[in-house]
Amino acid sequence: MKRLIFVVLALSLCLTGCSSGLTILSNYRRIENIELVRTVTADISGEGVNVAVCGTAGEESVARMYEKTGSSLGVALGELILLPLGRDAILSHTENMLIGEDMARERLNECLDYIERFSEMRLDTGLLIVRDGTARDLLKGLTGEDTPAPDVIAGLARNISKTGEGYFFTCREIASSLADNGCALMQCVRAQEEEKLFEARGELNIVPAGFAVVREEGGVEFLSDQETLGTMLILQKYKSRNVDLSLPGGVVTVSVDSVETKVEPVFKKDGSLERMSVRLALEANVICLKGEADLEDKALREAAEMELSRIFREAAESAIRRSRELGLDYLDLESILERQAPLKAEETLRNWEQVFPILPVEVEAESTLQRTYDIVDPPQDAKEDQKPWEKMIRSLKGS
Amino acid sequence: MGKNDTITERQLTVLIFVSLLSPVIRVLPASAVQLAGRAAWLSPLAALPAGAALAAFTRYARKNAPEGVGLQDMAQLALGGVGGRIFGVLFALWLTFYGGFVARSASERLLATVYPNGSASVFIAVMFLVALITASGKTKTLSRTAEVLMPVLIIVIAVVLLSAIPDVTAESLLPVTYRDAGKVLYGAVPIFNVLSAFVYFLFLTGHIRKPRGERPRRFPWLALLAATAFGVTFFTLGTLGDKLAISMENAFFMVIRNLKVLGVAERVEAVVVAIWIVTDFIFLAAILMIVSEIWRTVTGVKKRGAFVPPSAALSAGAAFLIAKNAFTLEAWSDILIPGINLILAVIFVPAVMGIGKVRRKY
Repeated sequence: MKRLIFVVLALSLCLTGCSSGLTILSNYRRIENIELVRTVTADISGEGVNVAVCGTAGEESVARMYEKTGSSLGVALGELILLPLGRDAILSHTENMLIGEDMARERLNECLDYIERFSEMRLDTGLLIVRDGTARDLLKGLTGEDTPAPDVIAGLARNISKTGEGYFFTCREIASSLADNGCALMQCVRAQEEEKLFEARGELNIVPAGFAVVREEGGVEFLSDQETLGTMLILQKYKSRNVDLSLPGGVVTVSVDSVETKVEPVFKKDGSLERMSVRLALEANVICLKGEADLEDKALREAAEMELSRIFREAAESAIRRSRELGLDYLDLESILERQAPLKAEETLRNWEQVFPILPVEVEAESTLQRTYDIVDPPQDAKEDQKPWEKMIRSLKGS
Repeated sequence: MGKNDTITERQLTVLIFVSLLSPVIRVLPASAVQLAGRAAWLSPLAALPAGAALAAFTRYARKNAPEGVGLQDMAQLALGGVGGRIFGVLFALWLTFYGGFVARSASERLLATVYPNGSASVFIAVMFLVALITASGKTKTLSRTAEVLMPVLIIVIAVVLLSAIPDVTAESLLPVTYRDAGKVLYGAVPIFNVLSAFVYFLFLTGHIRKPRGERPRRFPWLALLAATAFGVTFFTLGTLGDKLAISMENAFFMVIRNLKVLGVAERVEAVVVAIWIVTDFIFLAAILMIVSEIWRTVTGVKKRGAFVPPSAALSAGAAFLIAKNAFTLEAWSDILIPGINLILAVIFVPAVMGIGKVRRKY
């Protein structure tokens, strides 16, 4: 029996994958040869698909990029990994997939299916649509000696919601939304040509280009910046944004750091659904002032708050309007209604497709200016006719 | 059976717990979601009372059974020599086939999650070799192995489920209203079916030696198993949503594929799958042990060791031949296997135990 145990244990060594000689693992790779792919692009190329990858070798990001064209995404990526690159490319740590506009319009499901099915890839891979050009060209343009494209894209992913310009939806979120709503939101980006302020950077920069709405049956619609902001507000993906408010006496720049969104159904006395109510509660801080607006003046502050509320309310209204025009409930109003009043709204939910385009949705926004960061009377720009001693007297009066 | 191959009631219960983790993951959340939709995360809790009732009945039925008497002995006492032996042969054949199904499912899971280009045959062969060695040994050894592994498994499950919390969304789980009660109960059927498999382990109760004052405490372990099933269903549904989860065979492992543990470790699925495969090994070894125990009692032979290799060979044959591919295996997994299990474990075993009780045989 002991001999048998020994034989079994010896055989089980074949399963460890610690040596290429003993392993039965067909995808065995030596760790020093591995190149971890961090970004994948997918574009339509004739009848097939062009893919390009860029990744990490050892502990450092590298600016190496490889590409391959095949009849499908699976074929192209499969061949790319097996190409004699000098390294073994693996997709296990892919952070983002950039998808060309045409590819997203015609073959998005192929990308989703590949990621879901291929055990090497993760469902939390971010999926982005590249507008006005191919994803491959964007990746190539981004790549500079000191600016590997995956690092640049990762930086955008970290900070995009802090500028209020978008949100990186993952494959999981997109697939789940497509399954639930028949449509899903995706972040778009585009290449932007910029002067190279240092030689080691790439030729292009990547900038957010709003949300796109993709349909389960194929097809893409693009949202404007205002509609994207409104969508982020309603879906509570918003984090922060700096906004200029034109007021009597100057322009106040505020940082809108907190938005609390409440979406609720409002019912009539007879129990039928009257409307959906969207309430936005904004909190902002003054970060910069241009001109002579006196923020000590309560009336001026109220004017600033009203202006801020208007901007955000209009953004939310435009998002709702567009969602209705498209006939796609990517704002999850049905889901919110179902969650908050599952029994009361049963009839409405049953006829949701007819109700959705005509359902009144009321948006209210309320803003509060919280603080000016201790600067009550900010320094004024020097005017040509102002003498130095006048400036000094003015500053002394202020103190 | 040897006098020194004895286990305690607690050890048998831990063996049941560790073994049944394997089918829990195979069945959930897909089968519950198919029946209960978004409300499926409540189904494991709904299945618990039925599982507890079955456990209470079997405990009552063998309350006065003498020490050293297992389910097969009880069947022969209840149905007489011939009837009892037919009962035993029926269960031995079924469990031999079921062992093959368990091994094949486990190997398919390995291929789907970690070794996409591997071969199911190699995994099946290794699983049966290890299970053969384990099942040829003492019941005590297997039970103690389960005891040692249990805390590891509980910690892994807890860490995995807690790490999934950030991805859970309310809209994937709610609303659930009283109108979903029927669906929840319907979704509880496959979970109860898995829980009910504990009755197969009653064939090993002949090995139990009761320390003074110890009573069978199956309920807390069934509750822990139901809680695990609840956690698996809740976090998978909460992360993926019911419609996406239903389109996946191993939705729980899809969730694991995404996990970042405490923001430090990622791609932990290989470790989790490797730990999970241990439960498959234990379950398979326990099945071979049960089958050989049944044959020993049916034939009246003193030692069961001789029955293990042929049982393992037959079971391995079933594993290879049961399905040509994963699609056929899924068809087995959906209707036939649960159906046969439900008839044998929930109807046959309690009926035979009840007959023995009514006839005052024990």
